[in-house]
Amino acid sequence: MTPIDDELPPVDPAESLRLIEHERAETALNITPDPRGLLWPWGFAWVLGFGVYFLRFGPDDRVFVDLPSWLPLTLLLVLFLAAGAFTGWFGARISRTISGPSSRQGAMYGITWSVAYAGMSLVLSTTNGLLPDAQATMLWAGAMVALAGAMHMAGGAIWNDRNLFLLGAWTSVVNIAGILAGSGWQSLILAVLGGGGMIAVGTVQWLRLRRLANQGHR
Amino acid sequence: MSQTEVPDLDPVIHAQARLRVVSALSTLREADSIAFPRLQEILKMTAGNLSVHLRKLEDAGYVEVTKTHRGRTPTTLVRLTRRGRLAFEDYTAALRALLNTPLEEP
Repeated sequence: MTPIDDELPPVDPAESLRLIEHERAETALNITPDPRGLLWPWGFAWVLGFGVYFLRFGPDDRVFVDLPSWLPLTLLLVLFLAAGAFTGWFGARISRTISGPSSRQGAMYGITWSVAYAGMSLVLSTTNGLLPDAQATMLWAGAMVALAGAMHMAGGAIWNDRNLFLLGAWTSVVNIAGILAGSGWQSLILAVLGGGGMIAVGTVQWLRLRRLANQGHR
Repeated sequence: MSQTEVPDLDPVIHAQARLRVVSALSTLREADSIAFPRLQEILKMTAGNLSVHLRKLEDAGYVEVTKTHRGRTPTTLVRLTRRGRLAFEDYTAALRALLNTPLEEP
């Protein structure tokens, strides 16, 4: 950026309008968080977590990889906690830059995720040991994914973000497909279509942001 | 603020540096504020330079500068006031009017 003579008015109205547009685009880019930061951690947690589930508890009780039976659920919960911690940190970093209604909204949304997940996990844990592995997996995975789908759709409503809403709707449909496909297949569907969907949406939004950035710097 | 037919360009905003500051701040949602260092980074201005312009905008009632604490770290937050937002909208409207009616330029 060339040094600017401070009190000098812009050359002409057209130039001023260009300056305004440039500055607004530059700022919007600068304060928009990297879309990958909120979606990729969850996407990869799903791919890996449900992927391992599928390998251990496959369709028709098949075991593709003979892992300890406690490992998949433990790994899934650890991955979810890690993704939650990362996205929480990432969100808090955004709110250090911008404060006001936007950051309060973001904080409330983040807290809602945590509280809803904690409450639901507690409720579901009361069924521990009562259900066969296959049904327990269907229940845990189905409930978690239903909640994630609903939260993403609500996020779309809060920020008027069509992509986030569609991701939530997609996740909800994938969840139903998983339940209908039955245990074993459910994990594969959630890993590939659910987790893959989040990674894809994160990537698309990131590429769009980069394209805007390149246009702004022309 | 004057509301004449021939658009007057607001002298407070009608300086490149302050126009850039106000444009950047106008991107934020109403009532949201941005940390001073981040604004400085976006505008690529020195802290001293930005402070001078913010002071002038503050004197005109266009921006609000709040010094606060985040934990133990002092933070300066900057936001466009409603009046500042209106002034910015009037300014851009005046620019467009000038472009459409070049002969009426004052």
